[in-house]
This record gives sequence, structure tokens and C-alpha cells, in this order.
Amino acid sequence: MTITNDSEFKAAIAKLTKAGQRQVGARFAESVLALCKDARVKHAIATAMRADITEEELAAALDSAKKASVDSFTLCGKECDWNSQAGHFVAEAALACLKSGTTPAWDAAMHARMARTSESIATGVGTDNAEAAVQYRILAEFMKD
Amino acid sequence: MSATLEKGLNAFKEVIDTPIASYFSSCVHCGLCAEACLFYNETGDPKYTPIHKLEPLRRVWKQEYTLLGKLGKMLGLSKPVTDEELTEWEPLVYDSCSMCGRCSLVCPVGNDITYMIRKMREGMSASGHAPEDMKGATKRAIEIGSPMGIKWPAVQAQIKHVQAETDIEVPVDKQGADYLVLMSSMEIINFPEYLSAISRIFKQAGVSWTLAPDAFEATNSGIQIGASDLAREIVSRIVVAAERLKVKCVISPECGHAFTAIRWEGPNLMGKPFGFEVKHILEVLDELHAAGKLKTRGKDKRPLTYHDPCQIARRGGVVEQPRRLLGEVAEDFREMPDAGVMNWCCGGGGGVSANSRAEPLRLEVFKVKKRQIESTGVHTLITACANCRIVMEEGLEHYHMKVEVLGLTELLAEYLVEGE
Repeated sequence: MTITNDSEFKAAIAKLTKAGQRQVGARFAESVLALCKDARVKHAIATAMRADITEEELAAALDSAKKASVDSFTLCGKECDWNSQAGHFVAEAALACLKSGTTPAWDAAMHARMARTSESIATGVGTDNAEAAVQYRILAEFMKD
Repeated sequence: MSATLEKGLNAFKEVIDTPIASYFSSCVHCGLCAEACLFYNETGDPKYTPIHKLEPLRRVWKQEYTLLGKLGKMLGLSKPVTDEELTEWEPLVYDSCSMCGRCSLVCPVGNDITYMIRKMREGMSASGHAPEDMKGATKRAIEIGSPMGIKWPAVQAQIKHVQAETDIEVPVDKQGADYLVLMSSMEIINFPEYLSAISRIFKQAGVSWTLAPDAFEATNSGIQIGASDLAREIVSRIVVAAERLKVKCVISPECGHAFTAIRWEGPNLMGKPFGFEVKHILEVLDELHAAGKLKTRGKDKRPLTYHDPCQIARRGGVVEQPRRLLGEVAEDFREMPDAGVMNWCCGGGGGVSANSRAEPLRLEVFKVKKRQIESTGVHTLITACANCRIVMEEGLEHYHMKVEVLGLTELLAEYLVEGE
């Protein structure tokens, strides 16, 4: 299976079960994990990727990701550090795949792309964002398994 | 007397206009403003009584503009305002006042205490008695164009992200567009879903709109710190862009103080009426809804409530619009006690959230919001101010409450009928 654009990406995600969306969403978050230094996020992503996760583990991981997300918001009036903000969006991606939303994998993918966008703003190397192509490959691989 | 104190006292004298003089002379010391104040209400500390926060300004008014006060000053009977006193008052004026306007609303003689605090901040700021964090934010707003240091390339990056996500072109510098859309730094940094939501809604509604590289920022730190010249500079950037692009209306984003700054203070700061309208995004969405241009399908089944941002509801009059919009997408909408114009502030407005020194007090007074939310039994909270949103996220986390916070524009976009 090859995915080349967001329409195909969305359609493929829609075919997944809720658990499948959580697992692939966690893979999208994992792809940008290097941008986040928060151990809680790393643990939440690792938990979300597992197929054998229990309800209790899911709730604990959700709590953990939520705390990491709230702790990393840039408050009004504070000078934005885009590197830290990239970390915040990784936490948001982890949170999105753990939440009971209607499109967790898509939401996680968008936050992961924002993490890359934040990184590109921080480095000032332009706004090209190749994360979408990475996510197409991750999803295609996941659907093959 | 130091040069900065003299500057501050001169600023106090300058801001004492007819309304302020009449407010001081008509205060009946009833204490109702204390009961209305979030900070007094939650701590019980009388120093947080709103009219008390104005004491140095009141003394300057009395000594300079009343007969008895002038006589007292001549005879050396009155106590001059000192630098030490302004240092003591700084946390009262900045940390424990979000300029939410609740005190003004309950005052039986109609004193606009919030207006007085706003004016007092002019003297505090001129005398160097403003929080360091707010000074930094104001400096960045003037030098960079945004209190949080956002430059246009960062907005361009977000536009690119939103265009890829929605497959909708975000118009920039479009001459003759009906609407010029402003954003707050908070939305650019933390909530890219806002731009995504309005792109989708405006596409569906056939709205002609644009962003402007020279005026994307709505937040006005000059208003918050109390520096009218800087506030005017920030407003003038928007006016210049709106006139250059010949737009009919400027849309203030989901940010409370930005709305106050551009809609209510803006023309006064510029000294002339605007040649365009200014509306809050919720007003525009409500108009689109009334015109049948905002089509939604389905309803959110979660029980949810709405937090009225002070500057949008109490100070801005946008109360019914969010409720009409929520009526379209919420199946189980529940009002908080004191909702609408008497709603309690999130605790972070007026620059309080930008002031790290105020954080413990801000979290302490969040208890009232906690009680309000708990009484509804909901786990989903909707609002229309990015600052309220983050302040509440922090408060909810602090008190271990499992409540999700969403922006109203974003919620509406979730139920939009698209592609038909």
C-alpha cells in the first residue's frame, strides 16, 4: 500500500479501529520524540503503542501526557522558545492518540507536524515540513502488519 | 524625589480626568467592590478590596485637585506618595487585578473601578513599578511586533501547516477583502487549530478575508502594563493595515484583552473613529449563523459548559452569541452559576498570567472556577479566549480536575458541513 497525499492518509486512518488509531498515532508521536525531553511523554507514547494495554494503563498514560502538555504550554506574554514549543506539540501528539476523540490518529499526526514546524521555526532553516511523508510511510507500514 | 517617581506622579496627575475625579468623590465606601473581586472573595484579605488598590492615586487626586487636599498639602498635613509605597502597591495593581470589571458592575454609584486601575497602571508603569515580565512582553511587542516574540515567518509556517491540513488557501494581503483577521500570539504558538477552524468555516460561508504580515498580532501589552503611547503604536499598526487593505471589518480573535484594546480603547487611543468595524470572532460567527451561512451537522453529546471571558462578555457585551452558537452543536449545554456578565474571571487576565510572581495567587483564586465547574458536573469546558484557556488548563491540572478545555470556534468547526 502506498500513501501519497493527505486524502489517502485520512481515508486509510478511517479504516482503522480505535485501538489501531491509538497505536499508529503513537508511532507518529514517536517519530518526533527527539524534540521532547519529557520522560512522561516518552512513557505515554510507549504505552500507547502497545496492543495489550489495559484500561488502567491507558488512563495513567493519558494523565501523564496531559500533565506534560499543560506544563509545556507557553503562557501569555512569555517569550516563545520554539524548541520548547516543539516539545509541547510532541506531548500534544501523545495526548491526542490517547484521548477518546473521533480521529485520534489524524489529530496526533497534525500535532506531530506542528512539532516539526516549531523545530523549523526555531532553527530558522525554512518551513519545509517533511513529516507528512514520514507519516504516510509509517501508516503504510502499520497497515501492512 | 527620584526622577522616576516624579514621572509616575506626573502620570497620575495626567490620568485624573473628569470621570476619575467624579469616581473618587462619589465613592461611598460601601465595600461592595470587595465582595465582587475574585482576589478578595477567595482570600478574604482586605488589601484586595478594589478601591483600596487605588489608594495612591486617590491621595494624588485629593492633594492636587480638591480644596481641602490642597490646603493640607500646603500646611504639610498630608502624606506624600512615595517610591516605597508604590513598590508595596505594585502587586495589588498588577498581580491581584485582572481588570475583569466585576467591581465596576456592582458599584452602586457607577464607578468604573477597572477604568481607574487601567489609568493607575499608567503612573505605576511610568514610575518603573510594573512587573518585569510585563515590561519584557511590552518591549517585545514594540520591537518585534508581538509580546511573545512571534515574527511573520512563524505565522507563515503555521499557515503552511494549516493549508496542508485543510487543503484551503489562507489569504494574505488580499486587497479589498471584507475581513482582516487578527490572531493572538497564544493562538499562533499554542492553538494552530484556531486558524484551521476559521479557514474551514470561512470557506464554507464564502467569506472574503485576509491576514496581514504587518498586522497579524492582536494582543496589546501596552493596555495591560498601562502605557498608552505604546498601546497606541500597537493599535496603529492594525489601523494602517486595515486602511491599506481597504477591509470593511477587523476580526478580533479568541483573546479577551485584544478585543478591549482594539474595539473599545482603539479609537480613543487613535483620537478618531475607525473607518472600519471591529468585531469579535464570535459576533462574526453568530452573524454568519443568522444568515444561514454557518451550517453544522450533529451535536456534541458530552455535557459541556461555557466560560465567559470577562473582556468579551462583561466588558464587551458578547454574551448571547456564544450561547446561540453552542445551541447548534451542544446537546447538553449547562450554565455555570454566575454565568454571563457576572461570570468569575479565570484569574489570569489583565497581564496576571504574564506575571510569574502572581502564579501562586492565581492558582489560589482559581478555586472559584473549580466550584463553578464542579457544580455543573461536566468534563468539557468551552471558552473563547486563548489566555483563559491556558490559565484554566493550569488551574484544572493544579486541582486534579479531569476537564477538557476547547475553543468555541474550534468546536464549531468540528461539526461543520463540508464538501457539499
